[in-house]
Amino acid sequence: GSEAAGGEQRELLIQRLRAAVHYTTGCLCQDVAEDKGVLFSKQTVAAISEITFRQCENFARDLEMFARHAKRSTITSEDVKLLARRSNSLLKYITQKSDELASSNME
Amino acid sequence: MDGRVGLRASRRAAPTPRVAVRSSPRQRARVREQEPVVSAMSGSGLGKENKAGSSTPLRHRPNAFSELDNATPRVMLRKIIQNQPQVSPLALQTVQLEETEDARPEPPSQRTSSTVELQLPDLVPEDASVTTFRMTRKRKKLSISEFERAADKRLPQNQAHSTLDSTLVRSLRMSVGSVMAPDTVEKRGLLRRPQNHKAIDIAAFEGGVEQNMLQIKAQDYLVDLQTSSMTGTTTIRTDAEVVLNNTELFVEPQLGEQNLLAVEPQLSDSKTSAQRSNTSYPAHEKARLEGLVSRVSTDERRTLRFSEKDLITDHEHVDGITQKTPAKEGEDEQDHSQQNDPMEQFSESEEMAGTTEHHADAEYSEHSEKKLSRKAVSQLTAAQDAGVEMEMTPSEGGVAEGTEHQDSPKAELQMAGSPGGHSPASYSLKKSGAKPLKEAVEQTGEIERGTITGVLDAAEEEATDDESDIEDHESEEISMKTPMFVHAAAYRPHPVLSPPHPVKSASPELPPQPVRAKPVPKSSGAAQRKTREPEIASSLIKQIFSHYVKTPVTRDAYKIVEKCSERYFKQISSDLEAYSQHAGRKTVEMADVELLMRRQGLVTDKMPLHVLVERHLPLEYRKLLIPIAVSGNKVIPCK
Repeated sequence: GSEAAGGEQRELLIQRLRAAVHYTTGCLCQDVAEDKGVLFSKQTVAAISEITFRQCENFARDLEMFARHAKRSTITSEDVKLLARRSNSLLKYITQKSDELASSNME
Repeated sequence: MDGRVGLRASRRAAPTPRVAVRSSPRQRARVREQEPVVSAMSGSGLGKENKAGSSTPLRHRPNAFSELDNATPRVMLRKIIQNQPQVSPLALQTVQLEETEDARPEPPSQRTSSTVELQLPDLVPEDASVTTFRMTRKRKKLSISEFERAADKRLPQNQAHSTLDSTLVRSLRMSVGSVMAPDTVEKRGLLRRPQNHKAIDIAAFEGGVEQNMLQIKAQDYLVDLQTSSMTGTTTIRTDAEVVLNNTELFVEPQLGEQNLLAVEPQLSDSKTSAQRSNTSYPAHEKARLEGLVSRVSTDERRTLRFSEKDLITDHEHVDGITQKTPAKEGEDEQDHSQQNDPMEQFSESEEMAGTTEHHADAEYSEHSEKKLSRKAVSQLTAAQDAGVEMEMTPSEGGVAEGTEHQDSPKAELQMAGSPGGHSPASYSLKKSGAKPLKEAVEQTGEIERGTITGVLDAAEEEATDDESDIEDHESEEISMKTPMFVHAAAYRPHPVLSPPHPVKSASPELPPQPVRAKPVPKSSGAAQRKTREPEIASSLIKQIFSHYVKTPVTRDAYKIVEKCSERYFKQISSDLEAYSQHAGRKTVEMADVELLMRRQGLVTDKMPLHVLVERHLPLEYRKLLIPIAVSGNKVIPCK
């Protein structure tokens, strides 16, 4: 009863999240389309949003693993940097941003 | 058996070649004077029989061999046997070989020679057991006939003094005697080489050490030029140190011993006074490196004598080669004497304690060799390090020292520069020596150190180091306890290990995986050419790849596979390093590996690591990695 309701709640939540991601993806694709002068079909946008959503799940799992690996219970920017190691440019970008944030925090 | 008896009984009957196929050939074999072979068919059948001397049913044999040439081995054998009164055990064996190869229908109970026959598969390389990795085994089957031929020719005449007509007795004798004799006759070529191993080792490696020393001297000269401006205090202890410096991180223990022994004499007064006379030499040896200590190995005691000899010869060489600044020599003498005192203390402790630290130090010192700034210091401290390390707890001592020393590289130099502060300098030098070691170690991968410190076996240490650094070790399947000579072969003359293991490229071994040793890159001592990065042996890659792909593969494809695997290992090694760093550790542990496998998707919530371990690793590793599995249902949780 309550568990099933909770499960349903969770399902609803996931769907809402998925929809939100889809909407944001659509907006971004629109911007890119205007920028580059290309068109995005609906399936493309749907595919991109689905991929993004699944990757977010993966990221979350990995981040939690990294935090636990470092014997922490909070996910920090260190975990995020570790996650972004695969892509050099992304890593650089993230470290840059985190440095900026840190410096702005100090000030 | 019964058949045999019957055959024997009918021996006297004049056998027609084909009629009494079963009986006649056998009796022919037995009879001293055989009738000349009448026909090829009968000859072949007889020959076959003769060789067999067994009661195997020959029904199929004549048909099988009727088409054979007259010049078949069987025929030849038969002729030999007929012409000579004795039957060669070799023939018996070869026939049985053929029988076993061609058809194994004979029930063992029927023949007394069945025992021999059954033994044969053991003696002869088993063609039947085709291992997937040895695709060339099939050749052996064909060569047996040639082998028989050759064996027959070599057969001593007196081997077959089988005056007994009893087939049983003869077969028995043959089975017993021939089992041994053929070994000597036939298997000589297959005798294992390593039996002569010991005899060669000493002489050969002394020569190798001499060469090393020459190289080192050349090296030293160059290095000395650099370091001459640095500290004037660090004294090279002995020429042996020079030798040690040049040796590879993973040089075989013998070499290490010798080197170490070369050093040890310095350390202990009892060794030789010649060491004291070395003070004049330390100048050039100053540049020599921590490598001295590196060579410590468990066998150092044994090779003490060798080291002394080498020292003497080394001195001669050194004299001829380098005449360093006399001023330095004076200083060196001071330092040397000072060093000797603390060293003497350590010498005993060294001998007592295990050699892991030494070994670790040696290896570390190898790494730090590149650090010219530390060379002088480290040299001085090398022996001291050895002593100091010995005092500390095995696995952690070296580590602790290393971490402490992290901050005193400069201090070393300064201290070294001040003659006044020799004794403290020496101690700090010790530490600094350990420090570069530490750094080097860390650079090369924490896993090395972890394994090194934990392992007492020198060979194992080398193996673990090699795994990360060494090439050409086709030992993916080899367990951790690889025999020494295997490592020795891989490590032969490896001079200084290239420190440029950039941290990224160091490939720590995944603990669950079996040892993957790679040979250390080899750079000549004389001229420091570019040092290659460690690579996995291409032959190993080829072997594994071709095994799994089961189809022929072109050379270009192998190259691509090699590139891919190299990149793959680089990537995972850098990942592992990042993970361990993320956890604030300096050693790659199993948790890091498991994390990596999770990222790779090999380990999921559904597929735990232990299942993969059970599935893919050999039993020895399984026992190590899953202690619960071998606990016999006694699990005591640790608080």
